[in-house]
Amino acid sequence: MGILSQEDSDYLKKELEKITNNVIIEFFSTDNKDKCEQCDNIRAIMKEIMDLTDKVSLKEFNIDKDKEKAEKYNIKMAPVLIFNNKDNGNIKFYGVPSGYEFSSLIEDIMDIGTGNIEFDEGVEEKIKAIDEDVNIMVFVTPTCPYCPAAVRTAHKFAMINPKIKADMIESYEFPEIADKYKVQGVPRVIINEKDGFEGALEQEKFLEKIIENL
Amino acid sequence: MILNLDKNKKTVSDNYDAVIIGGGPAGLTAAIYLGRARIKTLVIEEMIPGGQAATTVRLENYPGFPEGIGGAELGSLMEKQAKNFGADIIYDNVIDVDFKNEEKIIKLNKREIRSKIVIIASGAKPRKMHVPGAEEFEGKGISYCATCDGPLFRDKNIAIIGGGNSAIEEAIFLLRFVKSIIIVQDLPKLTAEKILEERLIKHKNVKLTFNNKILSINGEKEIKSISVEKTNSKKKMDIPAEGIFIYIGYIPNTDYLKGHIELDKFNYVKTNENLETNIKGVFAAGDVCKKTLRQVATAVGDGAIAAFMATKYLENEGG
Ligand SMILES: Cc1cc2nc3c(=O)[nH]c(=O)nc-3n(C[C@H](O)[C@H](O)[C@H](O)COP(=O)(O)OP(=O)(O)OC[C@H]3O[C@@H](n4cnc5c(N)ncnc54)[C@H](O)[C@@H]3O)c2cc1C
Repeated sequence: MGILSQEDSDYLKKELEKITNNVIIEFFSTDNKDKCEQCDNIRAIMKEIMDLTDKVSLKEFNIDKDKEKAEKYNIKMAPVLIFNNKDNGNIKFYGVPSGYEFSSLIEDIMDIGTGNIEFDEGVEEKIKAIDEDVNIMVFVTPTCPYCPAAVRTAHKFAMINPKIKADMIESYEFPEIADKYKVQGVPRVIINEKDGFEGALEQEKFLEKIIENL
Repeated sequence: MILNLDKNKKTVSDNYDAVIIGGGPAGLTAAIYLGRARIKTLVIEEMIPGGQAATTVRLENYPGFPEGIGGAELGSLMEKQAKNFGADIIYDNVIDVDFKNEEKIIKLNKREIRSKIVIIASGAKPRKMHVPGAEEFEGKGISYCATCDGPLFRDKNIAIIGGGNSAIEEAIFLLRFVKSIIIVQDLPKLTAEKILEERLIKHKNVKLTFNNKILSINGEKEIKSISVEKTNSKKKMDIPAEGIFIYIGYIPNTDYLKGHIELDKFNYVKTNENLETNIKGVFAAGDVCKKTLRQVATAVGDGAIAAFMATKYLENEGG
Protein backbone atom coordinates (compact mmCIF):
# COMPACT_ATOMS: atom_id res chain seq x y z
CA MET A 1 0.00 0.00 0.00
CA GLY A 2 1.26 3.42 -0.94
CA ILE A 3 0.83 6.59 1.05
CA LEU A 4 -2.00 7.85 -1.11
CA SER A 5 -5.35 6.20 -1.66
CA GLN A 6 -5.91 4.73 -5.12
CA GLU A 7 -8.36 7.52 -5.88
CA ASP A 8 -5.99 10.31 -4.87
CA SER A 9 -3.17 8.66 -6.72
CA ASP A 10 -5.25 8.43 -9.93
CA TYR A 11 -6.21 12.06 -9.57
CA LEU A 12 -2.64 13.10 -8.94
CA LYS A 13 -1.39 11.17 -11.95
CA LYS A 14 -3.75 13.15 -14.17
CA GLU A 15 -2.63 16.43 -12.62
CA LEU A 16 1.02 15.56 -13.08
CA GLU A 17 0.42 14.85 -16.77
CA LYS A 18 0.02 18.61 -17.23
CA ILE A 19 3.70 19.14 -16.42
CA THR A 20 5.76 20.33 -19.37
CA ASN A 21 9.11 21.28 -17.80
CA ASN A 22 11.17 18.78 -15.85
CA VAL A 23 11.16 19.50 -12.15
CA ILE A 24 14.44 18.92 -10.37
CA ILE A 25 14.27 18.33 -6.66
CA GLU A 26 17.29 17.79 -4.45
CA PHE A 27 17.20 16.09 -1.12
CA PHE A 28 19.81 16.60 1.58
CA SER A 29 19.90 13.95 4.25
CA THR A 30 22.27 13.87 7.21
CA ASP A 31 24.46 11.33 9.01
CA ASN A 32 22.85 12.34 12.28
CA LYS A 33 20.46 9.44 12.84
CA ASP A 34 18.16 11.32 15.23
CA LYS A 35 17.74 14.13 12.77
CA CYS A 36 17.25 11.74 9.91
CA GLU A 37 14.44 9.82 11.55
CA GLN A 38 12.11 11.20 8.90
CA CYS A 39 14.46 10.78 5.94
CA ASP A 40 12.90 7.51 4.83
CA ASN A 41 9.52 9.11 5.03
CA ILE A 42 10.62 11.86 2.69
CA ARG A 43 12.11 9.34 0.27
CA ALA A 44 8.84 7.41 0.33
CA ILE A 45 6.77 10.51 -0.40
CA MET A 46 9.03 11.47 -3.29
CA LYS A 47 8.98 7.94 -4.66
CA GLU A 48 5.22 7.95 -4.61
CA ILE A 49 5.22 11.09 -6.75
CA MET A 50 7.94 9.90 -9.10
CA ASP A 51 6.09 6.65 -9.69
CA LEU A 52 3.31 8.73 -11.21
CA THR A 53 5.38 10.92 -13.52
CA ASP A 54 8.78 10.88 -15.17
CA LYS A 55 8.93 14.68 -15.20
CA VAL A 56 9.99 14.91 -11.56
CA SER A 57 13.46 13.80 -10.53
CA LEU A 58 15.18 13.56 -7.19
CA LYS A 59 18.89 13.72 -6.45
CA GLU A 60 20.13 12.88 -3.01
CA PHE A 61 22.98 14.60 -1.19
CA ASN A 62 24.28 14.58 2.32
CA ILE A 63 24.67 17.76 4.29
CA ASP A 64 27.72 16.39 6.13
CA LYS A 65 29.49 15.15 3.02
CA ASP A 66 28.42 17.51 0.24
CA LYS A 67 29.41 20.53 2.27
CA GLU A 68 30.21 22.80 -0.60
CA LYS A 69 26.87 22.30 -2.24
CA ALA A 70 25.08 22.66 1.05
CA GLU A 71 26.83 25.94 1.63
CA LYS A 72 26.07 27.21 -1.83
CA TYR A 73 22.36 26.76 -1.23
CA ASN A 74 22.61 28.11 2.27
CA ILE A 75 21.26 24.93 3.81
CA LYS A 76 20.98 25.27 7.56
CA MET A 77 19.92 21.79 8.51
CA ALA A 78 18.64 18.49 7.18
CA PRO A 79 16.50 16.78 6.07
CA VAL A 80 15.54 19.29 3.44
CA LEU A 81 13.98 19.19 -0.03
CA ILE A 82 15.01 21.90 -2.46
CA PHE A 83 13.51 22.89 -5.76
CA ASN A 84 16.46 23.48 -7.94
CA ASN A 85 15.38 24.17 -11.48
CA LYS A 86 17.33 27.40 -11.70
CA ASP A 87 20.40 26.27 -9.73
CA ASN A 88 19.39 28.77 -7.11
CA GLY A 89 17.88 26.51 -4.48
CA ASN A 90 15.73 29.26 -3.03
CA ILE A 91 12.63 27.13 -2.41
CA LYS A 92 12.95 24.72 0.48
CA PHE A 93 11.01 22.32 2.65
CA TYR A 94 12.81 21.61 5.93
CA GLY A 95 11.32 18.41 7.33
CA VAL A 96 8.67 16.14 5.90
CA PRO A 97 6.08 17.80 3.71
CA SER A 98 3.38 15.55 5.09
CA GLY A 99 -0.16 16.14 6.32
CA TYR A 100 -1.38 19.39 4.84
CA GLU A 101 2.03 20.30 3.52
CA PHE A 102 1.92 17.45 1.05
CA SER A 103 -0.47 19.61 -0.98
CA SER A 104 2.06 22.46 -0.87
CA LEU A 105 4.71 20.16 -2.28
CA ILE A 106 2.44 19.00 -5.10
CA GLU A 107 1.28 22.51 -5.91
CA ASP A 108 4.88 23.74 -6.01
CA ILE A 109 5.70 20.91 -8.42
CA MET A 110 2.72 21.86 -10.59
CA ASP A 111 3.66 25.54 -10.62
CA ILE A 112 7.25 24.91 -11.56
CA GLY A 113 6.40 22.08 -13.93
CA THR A 114 3.78 24.04 -15.85
CA GLY A 115 5.25 27.52 -15.44
CA ASN A 116 1.73 28.60 -14.68
CA ILE A 117 1.93 30.42 -11.35
CA GLU A 118 -1.14 32.35 -10.29
CA PHE A 119 -1.01 35.66 -8.49
CA ASP A 120 -3.60 38.10 -7.29
CA GLU A 121 -3.92 41.20 -9.41
CA GLY A 122 -0.93 43.53 -9.28
CA VAL A 123 1.21 41.37 -6.99
CA GLU A 124 3.47 39.71 -9.54
CA GLU A 125 5.01 42.94 -10.83
CA LYS A 126 5.68 44.21 -7.32
CA ILE A 127 7.37 40.97 -6.28
CA LYS A 128 9.56 40.94 -9.36
CA ALA A 129 10.60 44.52 -8.64
CA ILE A 130 12.13 43.70 -5.25
CA ASP A 131 15.87 44.09 -5.64
CA GLU A 132 17.07 43.19 -2.16
CA ASP A 133 17.69 39.88 -0.45
CA VAL A 134 14.62 38.59 1.31
CA ASN A 135 14.69 35.57 3.61
CA ILE A 136 11.32 34.15 4.48
CA MET A 137 10.84 31.36 7.00
CA VAL A 138 7.39 29.85 7.36
CA PHE A 139 7.03 27.69 10.46
CA VAL A 140 4.32 25.04 10.22
CA THR A 141 3.00 21.85 11.78
CA PRO A 142 1.65 19.02 9.61
CA THR A 143 -1.78 19.28 11.24
CA CYS A 144 -2.25 23.00 10.66
CA PRO A 145 -4.91 23.61 8.04
CA TYR A 146 -4.02 27.27 7.63
CA CYS A 147 -0.31 26.71 7.03
CA PRO A 148 -0.12 25.66 3.37
CA ALA A 149 -1.52 29.02 2.29
CA ALA A 150 1.42 30.81 3.92
CA VAL A 151 3.97 28.33 2.59
CA ARG A 152 2.61 28.55 -0.91
CA THR A 153 2.57 32.33 -1.00
CA ALA A 154 6.19 32.48 0.17
CA HIS A 155 7.24 29.81 -2.31
CA LYS A 156 5.41 31.45 -5.21
CA PHE A 157 7.18 34.72 -4.47
CA ALA A 158 10.50 32.87 -4.55
CA MET A 159 9.61 31.23 -7.86
CA ILE A 160 9.51 34.56 -9.66
CA ASN A 161 12.29 36.41 -7.86
CA PRO A 162 15.65 34.72 -7.20
CA LYS A 163 16.46 37.28 -4.49
CA ILE A 164 13.67 35.84 -2.39
CA LYS A 165 14.47 32.73 -0.39
CA ALA A 166 11.50 30.92 1.09
CA ASP A 167 11.74 28.07 3.58
CA MET A 168 9.01 25.92 5.01
CA ILE A 169 10.14 24.67 8.42
CA GLU A 170 8.33 21.83 10.15
CA SER A 171 8.40 22.99 13.74
CA TYR A 172 7.93 19.62 15.40
CA GLU A 173 10.96 18.19 13.63
CA PHE A 174 13.16 21.22 14.29
CA PRO A 175 12.24 22.28 17.81
CA GLU A 176 15.53 24.11 18.42
CA ILE A 177 14.98 26.54 15.61
CA ALA A 178 11.26 26.85 16.38
CA ASP A 179 12.23 27.73 19.96
CA LYS A 180 14.86 30.18 18.78
CA TYR A 181 12.23 32.13 16.89
CA LYS A 182 9.72 31.63 19.72
CA VAL A 183 7.21 29.87 17.53
CA GLN A 184 4.13 29.08 19.61
CA GLY A 185 1.51 29.52 16.96
CA VAL A 186 1.51 28.56 13.32
CA PRO A 187 1.83 29.56 10.58
CA ARG A 188 4.51 31.91 11.94
CA VAL A 189 6.33 33.88 9.30
CA ILE A 190 9.76 35.38 9.94
CA ILE A 191 11.11 37.87 7.40
CA ASN A 192 14.81 38.71 7.31
CA GLU A 193 15.27 37.36 10.83
CA LYS A 194 12.67 39.77 12.14
CA ASP A 195 9.42 38.75 13.70
CA GLY A 196 7.05 38.86 10.79
CA PHE A 197 3.51 37.77 11.54
CA GLU A 198 1.28 34.88 12.45
CA GLY A 199 -1.47 33.57 10.21
CA ALA A 200 -2.20 33.17 6.54
CA LEU A 201 -2.29 36.55 4.84
CA GLU A 202 -3.43 37.39 1.34
CA GLN A 203 -0.63 37.84 -1.18
CA GLU A 204 -0.90 41.59 -1.12
CA LYS A 205 -0.71 41.85 2.69
CA PHE A 206 2.13 39.33 2.77
CA LEU A 207 3.96 41.51 0.27
CA GLU A 208 3.38 44.57 2.46
CA LYS A 209 4.95 42.72 5.40
CA ILE A 210 7.99 41.89 3.29
CA ILE A 211 8.42 45.50 2.32
CA GLU A 212 8.04 46.62 5.94
CA ASN A 213 10.85 44.30 6.93
CA LEU A 214 13.32 45.10 4.17
CA MET B 1 -1.80 12.58 3.63
CA ILE B 2 -4.24 15.31 2.73
CA LEU B 3 -4.60 16.07 -0.93
CA ASN B 4 -6.39 19.33 -1.27
CA LEU B 5 -5.40 20.85 -4.57
CA ASP B 6 -6.75 23.13 -7.22
CA LYS B 7 -7.55 26.09 -5.00
CA ASN B 8 -8.16 29.36 -6.77
CA LYS B 9 -7.52 27.82 -10.15
CA LYS B 10 -11.16 27.96 -11.12
CA THR B 11 -12.49 30.88 -13.07
CA VAL B 12 -16.03 31.47 -11.98
CA SER B 13 -18.76 33.50 -13.57
CA ASP B 14 -20.40 36.55 -11.99
CA ASN B 15 -23.92 35.21 -12.07
CA TYR B 16 -25.36 32.25 -10.24
CA ASP B 17 -28.73 30.88 -9.30
CA ALA B 18 -27.45 30.02 -5.83
CA VAL B 19 -24.52 31.31 -3.83
CA ILE B 20 -23.50 29.61 -0.60
CA ILE B 21 -21.37 31.62 1.78
CA GLY B 22 -19.06 29.24 3.66
CA GLY B 23 -17.63 25.84 2.73
CA GLY B 24 -18.11 24.05 6.05
CA PRO B 25 -20.32 20.98 6.50
CA ALA B 26 -23.54 23.04 6.17
CA GLY B 27 -22.48 24.88 3.02
CA LEU B 28 -21.03 21.85 1.28
CA THR B 29 -24.12 19.76 2.03
CA ALA B 30 -26.32 22.49 0.58
CA ALA B 31 -24.06 22.49 -2.49
CA ILE B 32 -24.50 18.73 -2.93
CA TYR B 33 -28.29 19.05 -2.86
CA LEU B 34 -28.39 22.12 -5.13
CA GLY B 35 -25.97 20.52 -7.56
CA ARG B 36 -28.18 17.46 -7.80
CA ALA B 37 -31.18 19.72 -8.42
CA ARG B 38 -29.15 21.04 -11.37
CA ILE B 39 -29.05 24.54 -9.96
CA LYS B 40 -26.08 26.67 -10.92
CA THR B 41 -24.31 26.92 -7.58
CA LEU B 42 -21.23 28.64 -6.20
CA VAL B 43 -19.66 28.06 -2.80
CA ILE B 44 -17.45 30.84 -1.48
CA GLU B 45 -15.01 29.75 1.23
CA GLU B 46 -12.33 31.94 2.71
CA MET B 47 -10.09 29.32 4.30
CA ILE B 48 -10.45 25.56 3.99
CA PRO B 49 -13.18 23.09 3.05
CA GLY B 50 -14.79 21.62 6.14
CA GLY B 51 -14.72 24.79 8.20
CA GLN B 52 -14.39 24.26 11.91
CA ALA B 53 -14.71 20.54 11.48
CA ALA B 54 -11.41 20.63 9.59
CA THR B 55 -9.69 22.09 12.63
CA THR B 56 -10.21 19.00 14.73
CA VAL B 57 -8.13 15.90 14.32
CA ARG B 58 -10.88 13.34 14.64
CA LEU B 59 -14.67 13.35 14.66
CA GLU B 60 -16.13 10.38 16.46
CA ASN B 61 -19.82 11.19 16.58
CA TYR B 62 -20.57 11.74 12.93
CA PRO B 63 -22.54 8.69 11.75
CA GLY B 64 -21.12 6.36 9.12
CA PHE B 65 -17.56 6.34 10.42
CA PRO B 66 -17.39 3.82 13.28
CA GLU B 67 -13.65 4.38 13.66
CA GLY B 68 -14.07 8.16 13.46
CA ILE B 69 -12.90 10.33 10.60
CA GLY B 70 -10.32 13.10 10.33
CA GLY B 71 -12.02 16.49 10.27
CA ALA B 72 -9.96 17.72 7.33
CA GLU B 73 -10.52 14.50 5.46
CA LEU B 74 -14.28 14.76 5.92
CA GLY B 75 -14.10 18.36 4.67
CA SER B 76 -12.27 17.47 1.50
CA LEU B 77 -14.55 14.50 0.85
CA MET B 78 -17.59 16.78 1.14
CA GLU B 79 -15.91 19.25 -1.21
CA LYS B 80 -15.23 16.53 -3.76
CA GLN B 81 -18.82 15.34 -3.53
CA ALA B 82 -20.16 18.87 -4.08
CA LYS B 83 -17.89 19.33 -7.10
CA ASN B 84 -18.97 15.97 -8.50
CA PHE B 85 -22.51 17.29 -8.70
CA GLY B 86 -21.43 20.44 -10.48
CA ALA B 87 -21.04 23.08 -7.78
CA ASP B 88 -18.27 25.64 -8.27
CA ILE B 89 -16.07 26.51 -5.31
CA ILE B 90 -13.84 29.54 -4.97
CA TYR B 91 -11.55 30.58 -2.17
CA ASP B 92 -12.32 34.17 -1.35
CA ASN B 93 -13.72 36.28 1.43
CA VAL B 94 -17.23 37.73 1.45
CA ILE B 95 -16.87 41.25 2.83
CA ASP B 96 -20.33 42.64 2.28
CA VAL B 97 -23.72 41.83 0.81
CA ASP B 98 -26.63 43.70 -0.69
CA PHE B 99 -29.99 41.99 -0.22
CA LYS B 100 -32.19 44.99 -1.05
CA ASN B 101 -33.32 43.80 -4.45
CA GLU B 102 -34.56 40.52 -5.76
CA GLU B 103 -31.15 39.90 -7.25
CA LYS B 104 -28.74 39.49 -4.35
CA ILE B 105 -25.23 40.91 -4.53
CA ILE B 106 -22.32 39.23 -2.75
CA LYS B 107 -19.22 41.38 -2.48
CA LEU B 108 -15.78 39.78 -2.44
CA ASN B 109 -12.41 41.44 -2.11
CA LYS B 110 -12.09 42.31 -5.75
CA ARG B 111 -15.36 41.39 -7.39
CA GLU B 112 -19.08 41.11 -7.00
CA ILE B 113 -21.26 38.11 -7.64
CA ARG B 114 -24.98 38.20 -8.34
CA SER B 115 -27.37 35.44 -7.43
CA LYS B 116 -31.06 34.66 -7.19
CA ILE B 117 -30.73 33.03 -3.81
CA VAL B 118 -28.16 33.00 -1.02
CA ILE B 119 -27.51 30.40 1.66
CA ILE B 120 -25.61 31.78 4.60
CA ALA B 121 -23.40 29.04 6.05
CA SER B 122 -20.49 31.03 7.39
CA GLY B 123 -20.41 29.19 10.71
CA ALA B 124 -18.67 30.38 13.81
CA LYS B 125 -15.22 31.00 15.21
CA PRO B 126 -13.68 30.59 18.66
CA ARG B 127 -14.69 33.15 21.23
CA LYS B 128 -11.64 35.07 22.36
CA MET B 129 -10.85 35.51 25.99
CA HIS B 130 -10.80 39.11 27.20
CA VAL B 131 -8.74 39.36 30.37
CA PRO B 132 -5.41 41.13 30.94
CA GLY B 133 -2.67 39.18 29.20
CA ALA B 134 -4.95 37.25 26.86
CA GLU B 135 -4.39 39.39 23.82
CA GLU B 136 -0.74 39.98 24.53
CA PHE B 137 0.08 36.26 24.66
CA GLU B 138 -2.06 35.18 21.72
CA GLY B 139 0.22 33.21 19.41
CA LYS B 140 2.88 33.47 22.10
CA GLY B 141 1.66 30.73 24.38
CA ILE B 142 -2.08 31.13 24.02
CA SER B 143 -3.74 29.20 21.23
CA TYR B 144 -7.28 28.70 20.00
CA CYS B 145 -6.36 25.78 17.73
CA ALA B 146 -4.89 22.67 19.33
CA THR B 147 -4.72 20.86 16.02
CA CYS B 148 -2.56 23.62 14.57
CA ASP B 149 -0.34 24.51 17.48
CA GLY B 150 -0.39 21.41 19.71
CA PRO B 151 2.91 20.03 18.39
CA LEU B 152 4.67 23.24 19.51
CA PHE B 153 3.93 22.49 23.17
CA ARG B 154 5.97 19.32 23.48
CA ASP B 155 6.72 18.44 27.11
CA LYS B 156 5.05 21.55 28.42
CA ASN B 157 2.67 21.88 31.32
CA ILE B 158 -0.42 23.41 29.84
CA ALA B 159 -3.85 24.59 30.87
CA ILE B 160 -7.07 24.31 28.94
CA ILE B 161 -9.73 26.85 29.64
CA GLY B 162 -13.20 25.42 29.13
CA GLY B 163 -14.97 22.15 29.84
CA GLY B 164 -17.21 21.50 26.85
CA ASN B 165 -16.82 19.00 24.03
CA SER B 166 -14.16 20.92 22.12
CA ALA B 167 -12.09 21.55 25.24
CA ILE B 168 -12.03 17.90 26.26
CA GLU B 169 -11.60 16.48 22.75
CA GLU B 170 -8.67 18.75 22.13
CA ALA B 171 -7.22 17.99 25.57
CA ILE B 172 -7.15 14.32 24.67
CA PHE B 173 -5.38 15.17 21.42
CA LEU B 174 -2.85 17.39 23.21
CA LEU B 175 -1.89 14.57 25.56
CA ARG B 176 0.18 13.18 22.68
CA PHE B 177 2.58 16.07 23.03
CA VAL B 178 2.40 17.77 26.38
CA LYS B 179 3.67 16.81 29.82
CA SER B 180 0.56 17.64 31.80
CA ILE B 181 -2.80 19.29 31.45
CA ILE B 182 -4.99 21.14 33.86
CA ILE B 183 -8.56 21.77 32.80
CA VAL B 184 -9.78 25.09 34.13
CA GLN B 185 -13.55 25.17 34.11
CA ASP B 186 -15.88 27.93 35.25
CA LEU B 187 -18.77 25.63 36.19
CA PRO B 188 -18.94 22.95 38.93
CA LYS B 189 -18.67 20.18 36.31
CA LEU B 190 -17.62 19.44 32.75
CA THR B 191 -20.26 19.89 30.07
CA ALA B 192 -18.57 17.56 27.57
CA GLU B 193 -20.00 14.18 26.57
CA LYS B 194 -19.53 11.58 29.31
CA ILE B 195 -17.45 9.33 27.07
CA LEU B 196 -14.94 12.13 26.57
CA GLU B 197 -14.76 12.83 30.28
CA GLU B 198 -14.13 9.16 31.06
CA ARG B 199 -11.37 8.97 28.52
CA LEU B 200 -9.73 12.13 29.77
CA ILE B 201 -9.59 11.33 33.46
CA LYS B 202 -7.95 7.97 32.81
CA HIS B 203 -4.75 9.88 32.15
CA LYS B 204 -2.57 10.38 35.21
CA ASN B 205 -1.15 13.66 33.99
CA VAL B 206 -4.54 15.38 33.83
CA LYS B 207 -6.01 17.50 36.58
CA LEU B 208 -9.29 19.36 36.75
CA THR B 209 -10.27 22.48 38.61
CA PHE B 210 -13.82 23.85 38.81
CA ASN B 211 -15.62 27.08 39.63
CA ASN B 212 -12.92 29.38 38.36
CA LYS B 213 -13.36 32.88 37.08
CA ILE B 214 -10.31 33.83 35.06
CA LEU B 215 -8.81 37.14 36.17
CA SER B 216 -5.63 37.40 34.15
CA ILE B 217 -2.91 35.56 32.31
CA ASN B 218 0.51 36.31 33.69
CA GLY B 219 4.11 36.17 32.64
CA GLU B 220 6.88 38.33 31.29
CA LYS B 221 8.25 36.99 28.04
CA GLU B 222 6.54 33.67 28.50
CA ILE B 223 3.33 32.59 30.16
CA LYS B 224 3.77 31.59 33.79
CA SER B 225 0.32 31.34 35.32
CA ILE B 226 -3.37 32.03 35.24
CA SER B 227 -4.93 34.03 38.05
CA VAL B 228 -8.40 32.87 39.01
CA GLU B 229 -11.03 33.67 41.57
CA LYS B 230 -13.11 30.85 43.00
CA THR B 231 -16.73 31.62 42.18
CA ASN B 232 -18.00 30.36 45.55
CA SER B 233 -15.44 31.40 48.11
CA LYS B 234 -14.06 34.38 46.13
CA LYS B 235 -10.62 33.11 47.05
CA LYS B 236 -7.93 34.10 44.59
CA MET B 237 -5.19 31.77 43.39
CA ASP B 238 -2.63 31.23 40.65
CA ILE B 239 -2.56 28.18 38.42
CA PRO B 240 0.87 27.59 36.87
CA ALA B 241 0.92 27.00 33.09
CA GLU B 242 3.46 27.24 30.28
CA GLY B 243 0.87 27.29 27.55
CA ILE B 244 -2.89 27.80 27.36
CA PHE B 245 -5.53 26.53 24.98
CA ILE B 246 -8.84 28.32 25.12
CA TYR B 247 -12.22 26.73 24.31
CA ILE B 248 -14.84 28.99 25.82
CA GLY B 249 -17.45 28.91 23.11
CA TYR B 250 -17.98 30.44 19.73
CA ILE B 251 -19.15 33.59 18.03
CA PRO B 252 -20.94 33.60 14.68
CA ASN B 253 -19.26 34.86 11.52
CA THR B 254 -21.87 37.48 10.74
CA ASP B 255 -20.01 40.81 10.73
CA TYR B 256 -20.53 41.12 7.00
CA LEU B 257 -24.30 40.68 7.46
CA LYS B 258 -24.93 43.43 9.98
CA GLY B 259 -27.69 45.75 8.82
CA HIS B 260 -28.61 43.43 5.97
CA ILE B 261 -30.44 40.67 7.78
CA GLU B 262 -32.05 39.99 11.13
CA LEU B 263 -29.66 38.69 13.80
CA ASP B 264 -30.36 37.75 17.41
CA LYS B 265 -28.71 39.55 20.32
CA PHE B 266 -25.65 37.26 20.10
CA ASN B 267 -25.43 37.97 16.36
CA TYR B 268 -26.63 34.56 15.21
CA VAL B 269 -28.87 34.59 12.12
CA LYS B 270 -32.56 34.27 12.96
CA THR B 271 -34.50 31.76 10.87
CA ASN B 272 -37.80 29.92 10.97
CA GLU B 273 -37.94 26.12 11.02
CA ASN B 274 -37.49 26.06 7.23
CA LEU B 275 -34.27 28.02 7.64
CA GLU B 276 -35.69 31.05 5.89
CA THR B 277 -34.39 34.40 7.10
CA ASN B 278 -36.38 37.61 7.17
CA ILE B 279 -35.22 38.31 3.60
CA LYS B 280 -36.92 36.44 0.79
CA GLY B 281 -34.52 34.23 -1.10
CA VAL B 282 -31.94 34.24 1.70
CA PHE B 283 -31.58 31.11 3.82
CA ALA B 284 -29.17 30.16 6.60
CA ALA B 285 -27.73 26.84 7.72
CA GLY B 286 -25.39 25.41 10.33
CA ASP B 287 -23.55 27.01 13.21
CA VAL B 288 -24.30 30.52 12.02
CA CYS B 289 -27.98 30.05 12.95
CA LYS B 290 -29.65 30.52 16.29
CA LYS B 291 -30.05 26.88 17.36
CA THR B 292 -29.54 24.50 20.26
CA LEU B 293 -26.87 22.07 19.10
CA ARG B 294 -23.92 23.02 16.94
CA GLN B 295 -22.38 19.87 15.51
CA VAL B 296 -21.49 18.45 12.11
CA ALA B 297 -24.57 16.20 12.15
CA THR B 298 -26.90 19.17 12.69
CA ALA B 299 -25.03 21.42 10.23
CA VAL B 300 -25.40 18.79 7.54
CA GLY B 301 -29.13 18.48 8.26
CA ASP B 302 -29.51 22.25 8.01
CA GLY B 303 -27.64 22.32 4.71
CA ALA B 304 -30.08 19.83 3.23
CA ILE B 305 -33.16 21.72 4.44
CA ALA B 306 -31.88 25.10 3.28
CA ALA B 307 -31.05 23.71 -0.15
CA PHE B 308 -34.46 22.06 -0.40
CA MET B 309 -36.26 25.27 0.51
CA ALA B 310 -34.05 27.26 -1.86
CA THR B 311 -34.87 24.87 -4.69
CA LYS B 312 -38.57 25.28 -4.03
CA TYR B 313 -38.19 29.04 -3.93
CA LEU B 314 -36.40 29.06 -7.27
CA GLU B 315 -39.10 26.88 -8.80
CA ASN B 316 -41.85 29.18 -7.61
CA GLU B 317 -40.34 32.65 -7.82
CA GLY B 318 -37.42 32.39 -10.14
CA GLY B 319 -39.06 30.29 -12.86
C1 LIG C 1 -12.16 22.14 17.95
C2 LIG C 1 -13.51 21.71 17.48
C3 LIG C 1 -13.90 20.39 17.63
C4 LIG C 1 -15.16 19.97 17.18
N1 LIG C 1 -15.51 18.66 17.31
C5 LIG C 1 -16.69 18.23 16.81
C6 LIG C 1 -17.04 16.85 16.85
O1 LIG C 1 -16.28 16.01 17.35
N2 LIG C 1 -18.24 16.46 16.34
C7 LIG C 1 -19.10 17.35 15.75
O2 LIG C 1 -20.15 16.94 15.26
N3 LIG C 1 -18.80 18.68 15.70
C8 LIG C 1 -17.63 19.13 16.22
N4 LIG C 1 -17.32 20.47 16.18
C9 LIG C 1 -18.34 21.41 15.68
C10 LIG C 1 -18.44 21.41 14.17
O3 LIG C 1 -17.14 21.56 13.65
C11 LIG C 1 -19.35 22.50 13.70
O4 LIG C 1 -20.60 22.37 14.27
C12 LIG C 1 -19.53 22.48 12.18
O5 LIG C 1 -18.27 22.59 11.54
C13 LIG C 1 -20.44 23.60 11.72
O6 LIG C 1 -20.51 23.62 10.34
P1 LIG C 1 -20.93 24.91 9.53
O7 LIG C 1 -20.82 24.54 8.10
O8 LIG C 1 -22.23 25.41 10.02
O9 LIG C 1 -19.89 26.05 9.94
P2 LIG C 1 -18.29 26.07 9.92
O10 LIG C 1 -17.73 24.73 10.07
O11 LIG C 1 -17.92 27.13 10.89
O12 LIG C 1 -17.95 26.57 8.44
C14 LIG C 1 -18.17 27.89 8.03
C15 LIG C 1 -17.22 28.22 6.92
O13 LIG C 1 -17.51 29.52 6.42
C16 LIG C 1 -16.32 30.20 6.13
N5 LIG C 1 -16.57 31.63 6.22
C17 LIG C 1 -16.89 32.37 7.32
N6 LIG C 1 -17.05 33.66 7.01
C18 LIG C 1 -16.82 33.76 5.67
C19 LIG C 1 -16.83 34.85 4.76
N7 LIG C 1 -17.12 36.10 5.15
N8 LIG C 1 -16.52 34.60 3.46
C20 LIG C 1 -16.24 33.33 3.04
N9 LIG C 1 -16.22 32.27 3.87
C21 LIG C 1 -16.52 32.47 5.17
C22 LIG C 1 -15.36 29.72 7.20
O14 LIG C 1 -14.01 29.85 6.77
C23 LIG C 1 -15.77 28.27 7.37
O15 LIG C 1 -15.01 27.40 6.58
C24 LIG C 1 -16.06 20.91 16.60
C25 LIG C 1 -15.67 22.24 16.46
C26 LIG C 1 -14.41 22.65 16.89
C27 LIG C 1 -14.01 24.08 16.71
